[in-house]
Formats: sequence, structure tokens, C-alpha cells
Amino acid sequence: MVMKDMNNQEEMSDLIDGLKKEINSKNNEIAAYIDKIESLEQEITRLQKLVPGEPSRIRFKTEKPEDVFDPDSESAIIIKDLVKQFEEVTAVNGINLEIKKGELFGLLGPNGAGKTTTINILVGLLNPTEGSALVGGYDVKKDLNKIKEMIGVCPQEASVYKFLKGRENVELFGNLFEMDKNLLKERADKFFESSGLKEASNRKAKGYSGGMIRQLNLIIALINDPKIVFLDEPTVGMDPRARRNTWNFIGDLKKEDKTIILTTHYIEEAEALCDRVGIIDYGELIALGTPKELMEKHDAQDLEEVFMKITGRRILEGA
Amino acid sequence: MQRILALVKMELLKLIREPAILFLNLLFPAILTLVFGLAFGGIGGGDSAIFEMMAPGLFAYACIFLIMTVAMSFTEDREAGLLKRINVTPTTSSQFIGSHIITNMVIAVIQLVIVFLLSLVMGFQPNIDIFGFIMAFIFMLLLSLCSVGLGLITATISKSSGAAVGLSFIFILPQMFFGTFIEPSGVTEGIAAFLPSHYVTEAIKTIFNGGSPFAMEILMELGIIALMTIGIVILGILLFKRFGKV
Repeated sequence: MVMKDMNNQEEMSDLIDGLKKEINSKNNEIAAYIDKIESLEQEITRLQKLVPGEPSRIRFKTEKPEDVFDPDSESAIIIKDLVKQFEEVTAVNGINLEIKKGELFGLLGPNGAGKTTTINILVGLLNPTEGSALVGGYDVKKDLNKIKEMIGVCPQEASVYKFLKGRENVELFGNLFEMDKNLLKERADKFFESSGLKEASNRKAKGYSGGMIRQLNLIIALINDPKIVFLDEPTVGMDPRARRNTWNFIGDLKKEDKTIILTTHYIEEAEALCDRVGIIDYGELIALGTPKELMEKHDAQDLEEVFMKITGRRILEGA
Repeated sequence: MQRILALVKMELLKLIREPAILFLNLLFPAILTLVFGLAFGGIGGGDSAIFEMMAPGLFAYACIFLIMTVAMSFTEDREAGLLKRINVTPTTSSQFIGSHIITNMVIAVIQLVIVFLLSLVMGFQPNIDIFGFIMAFIFMLLLSLCSVGLGLITATISKSSGAAVGLSFIFILPQMFFGTFIEPSGVTEGIAAFLPSHYVTEAIKTIFNGGSPFAMEILMELGIIALMTIGIVILGILLFKRFGKV
């Protein structure tokens, strides 16, 4: 009987030892998994830094503001720490940017990213909440009248008087810039000819197609021979042929040494036309460079891929 | 000046080419005068004395409806993005609003000529000399200017042109019913004291009935309507510049 008890105790002791060994082995496995998880987390963080998917944490700046804000520079537009707040929403969040004279600059970004708000501040339609901007060397807060004399704006909406003829619309806006009558007629003729609207110029805009109204919209923006042109999605609603014509038209403007700021949703348009592009998301400038530079940097085949990569998180969130 | 003239030309072309604007500004007052003339004037076989009393109120009617057309014009332009577009040209707010005031004064003059001539055709026989005519004209132009100011206020508070039409009646109806040819009494008399059309109708009624255009009563009414007009136009401009432009 005593012998039997002793055997049982030995068996129990062996069992406990076995279990202890198993527990130690599992603990080692868990520790290995924890190490692996930590290592994966580090890898994720590293990748997030390479692909800036969280603009609120990763902020892109072209130059330090103090370097950018030089009124005597050869820049057409200088933006310093620009902020625009609409109640709870920050539409533009600390943008710093410099656009050189004669440059065709593309401003890209998803809907509601802050492109139009930025342009509206630059053309004087909105006051910045914080920061400042110089357009043609003039401060948007102080010298708005001087800025308005040198800019041309093609708004997103096709803003023309429908009851006026195409030519009357152009003449109206030319007169608002106090243009000389002969010069106004000369430039209007030139633009109607080059845009293919010559025949329609003496018809009321009410009868124009969507594409024709867009072209008229563009002519009005350029009639005063502006030094700096803001084109806010100028080809929306145009058929491919009209869009291609407009691209040529914009290309010709560049030859006239005008500074052009173009916002568009057509990434191929920006890629084909722009010297440099800036991508805005959540009101912040998250990428800046020539299309080629951005494609190389983000290892992408085209600008659209760059755009998708760096604004992808937002699109996934929206989906 | 080039800017103001260009904007005035555009607004006048709108008057000619937009049927709704043409109807509200010119045809509606003309039709109203004809209808009231036929109903109450000598031609329709009615008592022409009633039409004699009504005619000054009809002049005020035409001016009051400018509130609606001004409010519609501003809100339609705002909806179409045209105010933004003009705002990015060197055109100042004063030039822009000034051009609207000039255009509406021109429209008011055309309205008054139409209503006056049709009233004469319908049997209206004013006892008036050239000074009385000029004074009556000044009163009605002031009321038109006041309507432009109220139109600006309406445009400021309206989100769309449809809303502008509805909201304009806040200013149109009291002036129509308590400040034109319906004689105010009791409570309405108190309300009428705040209505520009009341002073204009009272003054031109006296003038058309042979009263001196330079009588103290007329000059007092001229002073009141002038002050009201200045206040309302300034308020309209300030509100529109601050809240209504973009």
C-alpha cells in the first residue's frame, strides 16, 4: 500500500515537471510572438512615414516660412502658414508655398481638400484666418485692389450672363478692367478665333453648349491680359476634343510668360500641362514637385498613381 | 465710370431680354393701372372720383415692386457665381451697387411715365403744375431708391432667388395694404407711420389735388421719406456687403 502511494507521488511529480516545461516552452513562444508584433509595428510605422497616409501627423513643408516670405523675390505667389477656419472645419491648415513667375502650377487634391479655398484667399474672395500670402508682390490682406488689377480668374462655376451674347459678356468684363475699347475688341477677336467660338460670339450664351460656356468662361478670365491666371477646374464638363483644345489654349498662355495656377480633377491634365504640382489633402500640402519628381519619389507609373498612393487613405475611409 | 456704365448697360439689357424681369418691372404696373382704371375709372363706366383717389397709390405700387426685382436680380447673380466673378475684378462695391441704383432709377422713371400716361388715358385728371409734377416725381424716385435698399436687405437674407421672391413680400405687402390707396385707420394708421409708401402716397395725393408742392406738410413728408431712404439704403448696402455678396 505504501509502495503504491509512493509510485503515485512520483507520477504526479513527473506530470507537474512536464507541465512546467510545456508552460515555459509556450511562454517562450509568446515572447517570440510579442517580439514579432513589436517588429511588425515598427515596420508599419516606417512604411507610414514613406507613404504619408495620415496628413494630420505627417506634415509636408516646401521651405521654412522665413525662407519663403521674401517680398523682393522673383515669385509670383508666396504663401506663408496659411490657415482658413470655417467654424469647426479647418479648410486650409498651414500651407507654405512659392510659385515662380511664368510657372504653370497644378493644385491637386480630393474633393473638399482645400484647393478652391486656397485660391479664393489668393484672389481676395476670402480672408485668411491666419498666415499671409503675397500675389504679384502684394499682400492679400492689404493690397487687394492692386492684386485684382493683375489677375484673371476662371471660376469653377460657368459664371457668364446667359442673356448676354458671348461677345457682350467678354466686353462687360473687359470694361470692368477699364480696358481700352480697341484693345478689348482686338483681344476678344483673337480669343474667339482661337477658341473656335467666333461664329457663336454674337449669339446669346443661353444657347451655348456646356463646353462652349466653359470656353467663354476662360476667355473672360483672360481678356484683361492678366499676369497671374487662376483656373479653377476649367475643363470640367468638356468633351475630350474641347478639353484637348483648352489644353492647347492653356499651353499657349504659358508661352506668353503668364503664371498659371490650375486646379483640376483630371490628373492627366496636370501631368500634361504643369511644370510643378502640389497635392493638398485635409487642407495641408502633402506633396510638391514636378510630375516626374513625384513619380520617382513614390515609385509610380504616372501622376494618378502618385495621387492615389498619397491620398489613398482618405479614399478608403470614404468608401 | 466705364465700369458703372458697363454694368448699367448689362442690367438694362437684362430688363429687355429677360421676360420675367420685363413683366415685373414694366408690364405688371401697366396692367395694374389698366385693370384699376377699367374697374374704377371713367372709361369703365365707374366713378372716376375713386380712381382719382387711387392713382397716387398706383404710382407707389409700381415703385414698391422694385423690391422684388432687385432682390431677385442680386440673388440670381449670386447663385450663378456672377457676384464672385465681379468681385475678383477691380470693381468696387460702391461702383457695383451704384450701378444697380442708377439702373433701377432709370427703370423707375420708365415705370412712372407708363403708369402716369395710362392713368391719364383711364380718366385720371390731376390738378397739378410743373413744380407739383417735379415734386411728385422726386417723391416717387425716393420711394424707388428706398425699394432698392429693401431689395438689398431681402437679397442679403435670402438663400436663393425663389426665397427672395417670397421674402420680398415682407416689405411689399404692408406697404401695399397700409401705405397706398387703402386709407389707414386705427391700428393700420400706426403701422403706416413706419412705411415709406405711406408718406409718398399722402404727399402726391395732396400735390395731385392741387396742394402746394412747397407746403410745410409736403416738405415734412419729403424730409421723412428722405431720411428713411438714406437709412434703408445705407443699411441695405452695409448688410449686403457684409453678409450677402458671396
